[in-house]
Amino acid sequence: MAGHPTENPGYNLTIVKAFALCAVVYLVVGALVGDIIAWQLSFPTLNLNEYLTFGRLRPLHTNAVIFAFGGCTLMATAFYVVQRTCAVPLWSNRMAWFTFWGWNLIIVSAVISFPMGWTQGKEYAELEWPIDILIAVVWLSYMFNFIMTIVNRKTSHIYVANWFFLGMMVMITYLHVVNSLAIPVTMTKSYSLFSGVHDAMIQWWWGHNAVGFFLTAGFLGIMYYFIPKQADLPIFSYRLSVLHFWALMFGYVWLGAHHLQYTALPDWAGSLGAAVSLAMIVPSWGGAVNGLMTLSGAWHKLRDDYVLRFLVVSLAFYAMSTFEGPVMSLKTVNALSHYTDWTIGHVHSGALGWVVMVSVGAIYHLVTRLWGREIYSVSLVNTHFWIHTIGTVIYVCAMWVSGIMQGLMWRATDDYGNLAYTFAETVVAMHPYYVLRSVGGLLVLFGALIMLYNVIMTIRTADQPKPAAVRV
Amino acid sequence: MNSLREYFFTDWQAMTRADWVGLVIVLVLSVLMFALYVWIFRPGNRDRFEQYRDFVNDNHDEDMKREVGHGQTK
Repeated sequence: MAGHPTENPGYNLTIVKAFALCAVVYLVVGALVGDIIAWQLSFPTLNLNEYLTFGRLRPLHTNAVIFAFGGCTLMATAFYVVQRTCAVPLWSNRMAWFTFWGWNLIIVSAVISFPMGWTQGKEYAELEWPIDILIAVVWLSYMFNFIMTIVNRKTSHIYVANWFFLGMMVMITYLHVVNSLAIPVTMTKSYSLFSGVHDAMIQWWWGHNAVGFFLTAGFLGIMYYFIPKQADLPIFSYRLSVLHFWALMFGYVWLGAHHLQYTALPDWAGSLGAAVSLAMIVPSWGGAVNGLMTLSGAWHKLRDDYVLRFLVVSLAFYAMSTFEGPVMSLKTVNALSHYTDWTIGHVHSGALGWVVMVSVGAIYHLVTRLWGREIYSVSLVNTHFWIHTIGTVIYVCAMWVSGIMQGLMWRATDDYGNLAYTFAETVVAMHPYYVLRSVGGLLVLFGALIMLYNVIMTIRTADQPKPAAVRV
Repeated sequence: MNSLREYFFTDWQAMTRADWVGLVIVLVLSVLMFALYVWIFRPGNRDRFEQYRDFVNDNHDEDMKREVGHGQTK
């Protein structure tokens, strides 16, 4: 078996530390803005002025959690995993720092431009064209450094986690470039190169693959490294992981059309999207089972191991979301669920349950190793786990109930075919669930603040001796 | 049966070049996907893949000390 050379190859872990710390900070920021807009939906008077309206803060929330928190997590873990599994330092430290500062500059640009109302109006791709160009350059620097590190590897095998990271990088590159093609009018305004249904299709080709590659493939790379590492067990089936990778790469790009059922998009395209969505349950569940079965015979580890607890629960949410999504893509279900809060519930069961939990597990794993210290407080980690889990469940359940009720009310008719409810009546009916969602979001925010405090205190705690065995 | 036949009815004459290209791509990728499943699950290929199951835990002893030392596990 091709293993790791035993000598310390002098990894660049400072860059991993920087990205990991930023990820924790951005988790707090993203959750804060998310909860603010949740309360705004519950109580519209909280839309204080034009800069702080729901419409301007919502893209700030999505970009903060997806690209700031998710992006920094992916960059921290990819740079860590590729060095550990290839047994070489990063190809270029300078380029890694260029990626770090460039990515943070993009995030700062988003924080300024969204409240100002500068947006392309494309979901998850709202940033205007100068920032889009910067994203492409910085992303390519991230990918190039990653690829060159693999090229220089001292191991014969390229571990499957690196395949997932690389797949994500390649796909996001061309998805971002094509979706962002636009004609600039001023520095802060541009119009998409596509129009009508083509624009819609390109948008959702990007939109769903932001989920499929950025929020799934990349985080599966995290899963395939950190679960066997943390459990100190071999992965249940390496064959399944290879199948999982190729099936994901093959399948995900077809799914975008299922966001456009009952629109001007040709019917067959929506059907194809739904059919491939259903087919994707097999590899997705195969991957989830692969992660969970890695703990086969060692479930007792969950009792004490706070990192594994996050990682395993994230897989449960991954399995649930990857079943719910295909079901929602079916035309019969879509007729009820589309445009309702059910979609919001689905997205957040994936985001809060899968993405955040697997990230948090990986970051706790990294923090103790990178800084060579015990975690400041295990009980705070446990509090974070439960408060985040309960918050997520409250959020998702509130949106499920609200969404299904919303869909049923919208299509209810009386004996004469007239709509049974006005739109305003549906809004009033949803109010309690919106408040409940805000409470769930508040718990998630508290959890993120606890994590930030715990991580900072871990780093600052200097009085604990560094164990001799610590070498990352 | 009749409705099924109607549902799957295809007007082949009306297929545009884009429709044909799309159809061919879908079929080719589906065949490749099927071949991938067969290749990976073929018993003869088992060891070829499974030898990497424990790839991340090669430096076992050192990592276990680290787990305990950092309070992540008892």
